[in-house]
Amino acid sequence: MSLFGQTVICGILLGGMYALIAIGMTLIMGVMKIINLAHGALVMVGMYITYVCYKSWGLDPYIGMLIAMPALFLIGCLIQRYMINRLVEVDSILPENQVLLTVGIMLVLTELARLIFKSDYRSVTTGYSSSTFFVGDMSISIPMTVGFFIAMAFTYLLHLFLTRTDLGRSIRATAQDRNAAVYMGVNASRVTVITFGIGSALAAAGGSLLLPLFYLWPDIGHLFTAKAFIITILGGMGSTMGAIFGGLTLGIAESLGATYISMGYKDVVGLVIFLLVLLFLPGGFKSLTKR
Amino acid sequence: MTAKSWLTPTIIAVVALVLPFLLRDPYPQHILIMILIWATLGTAWNLLGGYAGQVSFGHAAFFGLGAYSAGLLFLHLKISTWWGMLLGPFVATAVAVPIGLICFRLRGPYFALATLALGEIFRLVFTNWVKFTHGAQGILILSTFPTKLPYYYIALAIWGLAMFTLNRLINSKLGYYFVSIREDQDAAESLGIPTTRYKMYALLPSAFLAGLTGAFYMNYIAFIDPHVVFSLGDISVMVILVVMMGGVANPWGAPVGAAIYIALNEIFRAWLGSANVLAFGILVCLVILFLPNGVMGELGQIRRTAFRQKPAAAGGGQK
Amino acid sequence: MKKTLSISAVALMLIGALIIAGCGGGKQQAPKTEAKKETVKVGVILPLTGSEAMFGTMEKNSMEMAYEELKAAGKTTVGGKEIELKFEDDQSKQDAAKAAAEKLINQDKVAMLSGGYSSANTNVIAGTAQSKGIPFLIVTGSADKITQQGWQWIFRGTAAPASKYTGALWDLIDKVIKPKSVAIIYENTDFGTSSAEGFRKVCKEKGINIVFDQAYEKGAIDFKPMLANMKKTNPDVVFAVSYVMDASLIAKQMKELDFNTKLFIGGAAGYTMPEFKENAGDASEYVASTTLWIPNVAWKGAADYFKKYKEKYGKEPDYHGAQAYATMYIIADALGRAKDFTPAGIQKALKETDLMTIMGPIKFEDWEGYTNQDKPTTYVVQWQKGKLEVVWPEEAASTKPVFPVPNWKERK
Repeated sequence: MSLFGQTVICGILLGGMYALIAIGMTLIMGVMKIINLAHGALVMVGMYITYVCYKSWGLDPYIGMLIAMPALFLIGCLIQRYMINRLVEVDSILPENQVLLTVGIMLVLTELARLIFKSDYRSVTTGYSSSTFFVGDMSISIPMTVGFFIAMAFTYLLHLFLTRTDLGRSIRATAQDRNAAVYMGVNASRVTVITFGIGSALAAAGGSLLLPLFYLWPDIGHLFTAKAFIITILGGMGSTMGAIFGGLTLGIAESLGATYISMGYKDVVGLVIFLLVLLFLPGGFKSLTKR
Repeated sequence: MTAKSWLTPTIIAVVALVLPFLLRDPYPQHILIMILIWATLGTAWNLLGGYAGQVSFGHAAFFGLGAYSAGLLFLHLKISTWWGMLLGPFVATAVAVPIGLICFRLRGPYFALATLALGEIFRLVFTNWVKFTHGAQGILILSTFPTKLPYYYIALAIWGLAMFTLNRLINSKLGYYFVSIREDQDAAESLGIPTTRYKMYALLPSAFLAGLTGAFYMNYIAFIDPHVVFSLGDISVMVILVVMMGGVANPWGAPVGAAIYIALNEIFRAWLGSANVLAFGILVCLVILFLPNGVMGELGQIRRTAFRQKPAAAGGGQK
Repeated sequence: MKKTLSISAVALMLIGALIIAGCGGGKQQAPKTEAKKETVKVGVILPLTGSEAMFGTMEKNSMEMAYEELKAAGKTTVGGKEIELKFEDDQSKQDAAKAAAEKLINQDKVAMLSGGYSSANTNVIAGTAQSKGIPFLIVTGSADKITQQGWQWIFRGTAAPASKYTGALWDLIDKVIKPKSVAIIYENTDFGTSSAEGFRKVCKEKGINIVFDQAYEKGAIDFKPMLANMKKTNPDVVFAVSYVMDASLIAKQMKELDFNTKLFIGGAAGYTMPEFKENAGDASEYVASTTLWIPNVAWKGAADYFKKYKEKYGKEPDYHGAQAYATMYIIADALGRAKDFTPAGIQKALKETDLMTIMGPIKFEDWEGYTNQDKPTTYVVQWQKGKLEVVWPEEAASTKPVFPVPNWKERK
């Protein structure tokens, strides 16, 4: 029984942190309806900024995160304003141009990181990196727990922002129906720029929380992009609560898959769930709650 | 008119047939073969994605199935991998049927993600099912021909088949159905077009050609493993990039894109060393921003900028 | 319109191809006009960019260092010609490896090939070399089957077949450890799968009970589900084949789970690198591993190589660097003995190699189904007090192995 408990707890904690990374993507997908394949690369950039803060100034990653977030907000805004926004007005045969642009951006970000930092693996080992506490037979990692709670806090703050502030409501309006929002006086371009910025900042936060636990190298982005997609679809595009649900589901499913099927096939579990949701519940968790 | 419309294909055919004798070095010949492989794979994708508008992010699945059909024949039955060129396309097409039936219920980004997930599932299964596929250890064979010439002509023939298939399909009634589905699926359905069936008519040849290319790849490179032939980044996404850069919905989009991709990759690699992928990424961004319909799609625009014609004054260059 | 479009498209393709040909041809001409002395070219294919760049660069640096030493000793002039190393980047990708091999053989007309880091790329290069009849001396690629095909042009000296890394380990297991149960975990790459296969086979022959046997995809964040599952089976000994970052996470997470075994043995690669100790911290203590080489091994020149490399490049090299370094010496030795620089001449010289290097004696022999494969010298090392010590075989050992290792809670 404790094996099951151990597995589930690991899944929940890790899933919570995945969720924070995914929230950025679900926001972007909800508002701009584009598949952002550069999302993982943005996480990676945020992690490198936090890493540099740690290496150069000895800042703990949880503090470095507070520097990485505004930095990524700015980068995200710039990318959206000068690159992706340009494509919105263009008439092309396939609307997927935006996706391909994000692929290009992903390549550029990844390779720039490789040029600066080389392909070496970097890691941040803090005093508490390996600390655990035990609940019965189950070992719970402290940085994972702290990360989980911070992720939940950010999610809640985002939820408040989206529901209680004007800007937040403008974002949701643009997500629901861009044209109607414009008629209502919402500056859609500005909203998309800010959304991309917020999404990127949250991605940086999620990555920074993982930094004490994992390690960093330029290609780490691909891993996060894949997970973020699955979670976005599971939760429903544009839904923050959905992202939490999706993150937890993915985390637990992967953990259970690793324990009870095999570690090699654990990613298949996530992908199969992903497909099933796509096919039978395309609106994700969000559509379940609407009923 | 008839004589004229035969002229261009004939010129191209003659040039293509003679090319390897102009470039005798095996290294440029290798480049040409890689261009042909990507041109074929791109054309296959273009049929489904560019013309029918179903953007698949998992075409590596068909490519890999073709490659592994050939490889597994050798691994388990000790038959030459060349038989895979017959088996591969049919395996890929057979698998495409359920994939299509499942995925065509979805539209736009959802369809793209579903195909992405399927491609990845194939990769993971082929990596982990070691007993059947040899997993990450891959399948290694000895090249059949010591020179490149036979490979070149086979690749050329495959590409020719792809172009011919594309041409026949898009110039038939099917072509119109594809475009109507791409432009507005709901309108097409309301006109009574069975969209799923026609999407399948685009998918099946696409999978067939992708599988054929995969089987050829096995024979040419002589080593495959799941990480390479089912790769998301290097194959699935790259084929989309190639066709988009060259121009979707244009028969020459894939070959042009392939030539750009392979040629520039080699040039960047030779001149820039480790910054070559960065250069490629920047190129992708620039092409998409400034040539949204790819090179072939924006050819009019390119010619105008190159010759500085005023758009209003342009004579016959516009269409 | 269509006609012009089509012709333009073809023109583009042609121009592209011609540029490549021009590039390649142009580059070939430059050295010919510049070189005053005639050279014997050795093509070396390594991952200088891409995910494996860290090792490729280490190997390139080591080969160049060895080259400089040989040059100073006059050993790079063979038969009146100067050995010239030509490096090509395979970008950690197979088709780039094939293109590089083709270019080196056909365009640069190299006399022999060397390099080969990942098993996948080594496979491709070997296939190309074998079909073209050019000798290929492998530096690192260790999948068993590369030298099991009877291919006479392929030589593997400094790299052991993946399943043979465990030579010294089995000796230690038989004499000291004598486990009743064992757990095997491995990354599902070529190297991981081959090593695990080899280990599994011998376990079955010796009747050791395998209580857990699982592959995993490398780059995972959380190994705890798998480790907790393994903990339940209570193995005496764990055998793991992992890349360095996975290795650090596995060691750390085993400590977090308070998962104790009598001995944790790595299958080389990740568990012997300095990064492992850096990242796993004190969880790395008492972890043992098989290896082909460590800096304080007894062979002449090994310690000097380590010191010199560290001074010059600011990083500690590991056995991959040593492999490249020793390979350069083998190349110089063979080319020095070759009667002529035809493929057959070099092949003959390689076959007759009997050289002492910093990795031990190198001889190319046919045994157990392998062709032109050196019989590797393997060791078992263990992290003790933060240092990697050789603990087996006894003749080479710097200290005794700690077995059984103390439980996590008992350690300071």
